[in-house]
Amino acid sequence: MLALALGAPWFAAVALVFLDGRRRVVGLLAAAALAVNLGALIAVAVDVAGNGPYELVTGGWPSGVGISLRADALGVLFAALSSAVVLSALLYEVLSGVRGRLFPPLALFLVTGLTGLFLTGDLFNFFVFFELSMIAAYVLSVYGGERRQIGAAFIFAVVNLLGSFLFLIAVGAIYHVTGSLEMGAVARRFGDVDPASAILIAVTFFVAFGVKLGLFPFHFWLPPLYTGARPAVAAILAGALANIGSYGLIRFGAGLLPSELEFGAPVLLALGAASVIYGSIQALSRRAVAEVLAYSSIGQAGYILIALAVGGPVGYAAAVLYAVVNSVNKTLLFLAIGLRGWLVGAVFVVGAFSVTGIPPSAGFFGKVALFQAAVEQQSVALVALVFLGGALSFVYMFQIYQQDYWSGRETAGTLRAAPRAVALLVAAAVLGLGLWPEPLLALTTAAAEVLGSRGAP
Amino acid sequence: MIVLLSAVVAILFGSGAFLVLKPDLFRVVIGMVLISNAANLTLMASGLSRGSAPLHPLDEDRVADPLVQAMTLTAIVIGFGVTALLLALSYRVYTSHATVDLDDLSLREARREEQLDRERVERVERVEVEA
Repeated sequence: MLALALGAPWFAAVALVFLDGRRRVVGLLAAAALAVNLGALIAVAVDVAGNGPYELVTGGWPSGVGISLRADALGVLFAALSSAVVLSALLYEVLSGVRGRLFPPLALFLVTGLTGLFLTGDLFNFFVFFELSMIAAYVLSVYGGERRQIGAAFIFAVVNLLGSFLFLIAVGAIYHVTGSLEMGAVARRFGDVDPASAILIAVTFFVAFGVKLGLFPFHFWLPPLYTGARPAVAAILAGALANIGSYGLIRFGAGLLPSELEFGAPVLLALGAASVIYGSIQALSRRAVAEVLAYSSIGQAGYILIALAVGGPVGYAAAVLYAVVNSVNKTLLFLAIGLRGWLVGAVFVVGAFSVTGIPPSAGFFGKVALFQAAVEQQSVALVALVFLGGALSFVYMFQIYQQDYWSGRETAGTLRAAPRAVALLVAAAVLGLGLWPEPLLALTTAAAEVLGSRGAP
Repeated sequence: MIVLLSAVVAILFGSGAFLVLKPDLFRVVIGMVLISNAANLTLMASGLSRGSAPLHPLDEDRVADPLVQAMTLTAIVIGFGVTALLLALSYRVYTSHATVDLDDLSLREARREEQLDRERVERVERVEVEA
C-alpha cells in the first residue's frame, strides 16, 4: 500500500510530462493517479489506526541499512490531507481549463514529494522528497500567472532554497552528533547530545520550517506570491505546501527535539503571538481578497506555533488539528475567490466561518483545541490572544465578504458549473468535518500520542 | 582540518549571503550556488570517520565514512537542478521585463499595477455612465 501510494503519482507524473497537459484527458488521468494515491493513503491510515505504525525498508535491505519508509498516524494524516487538497485543486483547474502543458504532471510530482516526506523515517530521505516537492512548487508558482508573478516566484524560490540549505546543514549536524539519520534512533540518542550544539541544531530546523510555513519574521515572500498566483495554485501552496512547514515543526520540534522545544517555548510563544497579531492586523488593512487571505495564513500559522509551544498531549493535538483545519480552510477560500455565480457566496461563507471558528464548520474544533491548550497552560494572556485573533479574523473575513459578495460588484472569475461543484464539495467536506469530527479528532489524538511516545527518552 | 573546513564554509556562506542580498538576479543565483556548496561541504565535514576510500577489498582498517559522501553527491545533484531552475527563472524575468535588477523590476511591476488599476477604474466608470 505504501509503495502504491508513492508509486502511482510518481510514475504517472513521469509519463504525463511527455503529454500535453492542456488536454482534458491528460488532466483527468493525473486526477485518477492522485485518486489512487489518496485511496492508498486512506487505506494505510485505516491500517495504522487499527494496527499501529509500520515500516517498509526500501529495496529489501535489512532494517537499519536501507532507507526506511515509516507510516504513523501523524505522517499519514498529513499525507492524506495534502493529497486531497492537491486533488481538489487539480480537478478545479482541469475543469476550468488548464493553461500550461506541465500543470498536471507538476501537481503529481508535488504530491509524490509530499507523500514521500510525510511517510519517511529517514532524515536525508526527508530532504530529498522535500526538494522534489519544493522544485515542483517553484515551477507551479509561475504557472499561468501574469507577468508580475515572476518576480514574486523568484523571491519565493530563493528564500525557500535558503531554508532548504539550512535544513541540509542541520541534517549534517544531526548525523555528526548522533551517528544516525533514522528518526527513531535520532530521537533516542538526542538526549545525550551536548546542549550547546543541540540548541543550535534545533534553531536551524526552526528557521528552515518557519520559512516554509511563513511565520512572522520569515513571511515576506508569501503575500506577493499568493496574491499573484492562480486560485488553484494558491490553494495548493497554502493548503498543501504549507503543510511541510507545520508537519516539520511538529515532527522535528515535538518528535525529535522535545527538550529543546520546551527550552525554546517562551520564544515560540512570543513569535506565535506576534504572527497572529501581525497577520490579523495586516489582513484587516488589505482590500484585495487574495492579499487578505495571504496575511490570514501568516496569522493562522501563529496559532500552530502557540499550540506547539504549550506542548504536552493537549498542545500537540491542538497543533496537529489546527494545521489540518487551516489547510482545508485556505484551500476552500482560495478556490472560492476564483469563482463567481450561484452558491459561491455560500462556499465563501463556509470558509469564513471555519477560519473564525464558528460551530457547524471544522474550524470550530481547531479553535476549541486551542482554547483547551491555552487553559491547560493556565495563562489568561493566551486565552485572550486566541479570542482576540478569532475576533480580528471575523472582522477581516466578513469585511471582504461584504465588499465582494454583498455589493454585487462584478468580480473576475469563472462562471462554469464544474469548478464550482469542486468548491462546493470542499465546502461540504469542511462542514462534514465540523458535524462529524470524531474520525479527525481520533486521528489527531493518535498523532499526538505518536509524538509523546517517541519523544520520551 | 576541521578548523580549516569551518573557515572555508564560513567564507563560502558569507560571500553567498552577501551576493543574495544584491539586487542583480544573476548575482543572487551565484550566491545561492555558493551557499549550496557551503552546505555540501558541511555535509562532507560531518562524516564520522576519516581514512582511505571505502572500496570493497578494505586493506586498511580506517575508512572514510561513505554515508556522507553519498548524501553530498545527492545534494550536489539537487543543487545543480535548482541552479538550472533559478537561471531559467531569471531568464524568464529578463525576457518579460527586460531587466535583471530587482529594484528596477519592482518599479516596473508597480507601474504596471497602477496602469491596470486605472484601466479597471475607467471600465467601472464607463459601465456606470452607460447605466
